[in-house]
Amino acid sequence: MKSKTIGIAFFVLILLGLGIFLQILIQTEKRAAVENLFSKGDHIVGLLSLNSIKDFEGARRDLLTKTLMQSDIHQGIAYCFVHDQTGKPLVSLAINSIATEIPYNIQVNSLAAMGLVHQFFKPIESTTGIYEFSKPIFEKGEKTGTVRVGFKLPPISILSTERIALIGVITFFIISAIIMSYYGFVKAFKPLESFLSNVLNNPNSSGAQLKNSSRSFGIEPMMQDCKNSIKELKNRLEKVEMKNKDLTCKLGIIRFEKNQASHILNSINLGIIVTDLHENVGFINDHMLNLLKKKRSDIIDSPLAQVITDKNFLALISRQQGFENPTGSHCFDITFPNLAPDKTYQVSHTYLTDDSKSLIGKLIIFNNTTREKEAAQAINDFTAHVTHELMTPLTTIKSYSEMLMDGEITDAATQKEFYNIINTETDRLSRLIKDLLNLSQIEMGSLTLNSGRVKSDWLFEDCIETVAGAARKKNISILRRLPDNFPTLIGDKELLKGAIINILGNAIKYTPENGQVVFELSEDESMVVFDISDNGYGISKEELPFIFDKFYRSSNSNITSQQGTGLGLAITSQIVSLHGGEINVESKPEKGTHFTVKIPKKEDYLAEK
Amino acid sequence: MPKNKKILIIDDEACIRRVLELKLKNRGYQVLTAANGEEGFLTIKDQQPHVVISDLMMPKLDGKTLCEKTNPFKIKRPFLTIIVTARINPEERDWIAHMQDTIFMEKPFSPNKIVDAIEKYLEDRNE
Repeated sequence: MKSKTIGIAFFVLILLGLGIFLQILIQTEKRAAVENLFSKGDHIVGLLSLNSIKDFEGARRDLLTKTLMQSDIHQGIAYCFVHDQTGKPLVSLAINSIATEIPYNIQVNSLAAMGLVHQFFKPIESTTGIYEFSKPIFEKGEKTGTVRVGFKLPPISILSTERIALIGVITFFIISAIIMSYYGFVKAFKPLESFLSNVLNNPNSSGAQLKNSSRSFGIEPMMQDCKNSIKELKNRLEKVEMKNKDLTCKLGIIRFEKNQASHILNSINLGIIVTDLHENVGFINDHMLNLLKKKRSDIIDSPLAQVITDKNFLALISRQQGFENPTGSHCFDITFPNLAPDKTYQVSHTYLTDDSKSLIGKLIIFNNTTREKEAAQAINDFTAHVTHELMTPLTTIKSYSEMLMDGEITDAATQKEFYNIINTETDRLSRLIKDLLNLSQIEMGSLTLNSGRVKSDWLFEDCIETVAGAARKKNISILRRLPDNFPTLIGDKELLKGAIINILGNAIKYTPENGQVVFELSEDESMVVFDISDNGYGISKEELPFIFDKFYRSSNSNITSQQGTGLGLAITSQIVSLHGGEINVESKPEKGTHFTVKIPKKEDYLAEK
Repeated sequence: MPKNKKILIIDDEACIRRVLELKLKNRGYQVLTAANGEEGFLTIKDQQPHVVISDLMMPKLDGKTLCEKTNPFKIKRPFLTIIVTARINPEERDWIAHMQDTIFMEKPFSPNKIVDAIEKYLEDRNE
């Protein structure tokens, strides 16, 4: 049934095709006939208009008329008119009564025109139209007449013998092609059919449900097989889509985890670079980008040697030991003089391996160890200072005693001088050790204040009494300035005394002979104020910020010539700050120095506590 | 013999300068002193001593810089540098090992040992 329908459909299609083919053929023929007509018309009108108007008069006109009638009438000329300049027809040739059927406007247009004119009209009782070609006759630049020739469109004939033969051949080939295609199709599908029947006969096959379907070969079973195949393909497509969704989910999770890992690595205060085996950068975190002052897009996939150009770094990173011991990591220090000149980075460099222990790249971590280095350097400097300061008096004691023991000093005066020096240096050593212990206790926070009421006048007088001997030796006067009422403060009397004596002692030590030191006691709203000023050597502006640093000693020769541990002012400032007070200094070289120490008064101290 | 041998002592500690000066003068040396590195450098340049005894930690110009500055002079007229220091770190020890005619003595040093070192140096050079 279906094959019949398909047959009819094919037949209708063939007819339709033929119809379209014929239509195209007719249109082509028509276009060719019109083109031919135009060419012919232009040619004849052109030829006629070349003649003089006189050629169309008298005997000459008859000759022309005769020629035209003989040669061209059968070529489709419907009429031919030659008018003089007034429009009067000189020649008038027409088939039947066609001259009367020419519309008036066609005639007028032709007579009025100054050049070649093509016009088309359809006579009332005619099925074919007429093309009129007209052209004026010019003689000596003036229009002397008009030639008008009408042409009938020749009938279009498509059923010539050649054409019928051509159509026949085409039809034969089409029908042959259909028959051959049909049988070719059947032959081509035979292996598919046998394959499908095998599949259907197999009880394990998914197509087993089709066992009962017809085994006879034809379009219907083929369509059925196609449907089954499509169904099978749909099932597979569904499975693939499910897998795709699953993979998309997993990809999303991996992306999320990757982002999380990147965020974590970017928020770490370490520079991180991961390279592949060829030392191309695969990952770099924000901290490292900031350090290198580069964009991530400029660095990813670039060779490490282009990212960090330091030769030592590259040499250490590429060390062959790494490959011999791929699980190990190596550390070294590096600086970036152009990017971060004051910073030191410790680089640790680890080989990355996958589950099968194959090398996949390198992890390079940059840790800013500047603070640790500075702290270590500070400890080192402090130790060096302490050792130097302790060893210096020890050297003096050892060498002086050695000289005395060897009997190299024979005169009594020098011997006495040597014993005195040994004694002084022993005191210096002991003072230094005490200062160091005090400083260490203060810095460690283990110093306990023996706090009690301290009357400021007692403290004032005690300090003066301690330094009076040294002042007398240099003939330095100490000018006292005292208030009417002496305030009381709470604190460790011995420590406060030590702190003030350090300043007062320095004032006397670093003031030349016959100088003057002013010691003033006063109070403001909340503080007891001790002002100590001298007219001594003073301290330069450059050195002033460092005078409270441990072991700092001025390079002024007037100061270096005097003995000192370089710890006195460091301890004083710590003691003052332990009591909640403050210490300030002003100085001018060769003019003198003015220290102000402020300690909170009793009321304030208690209130704070 | 040592009368014409000049020995320069550079130390910011007056006591150490005093004891070494006395010790070396007793042995017949001509002794020069300087209280800091800068002063020491000028004295080396002017006096061309045979031996320089110098501390490492000093104001104005430390001992290491002083040695580096004066080392080129040794090409013209070699002299012994004795570095006296309380503490020496491995880098400084390494640096001294690479310096020409330079030895170090740790504080507290014995003046006798310093004299021994000077005499050995001068003997080796037949001076």
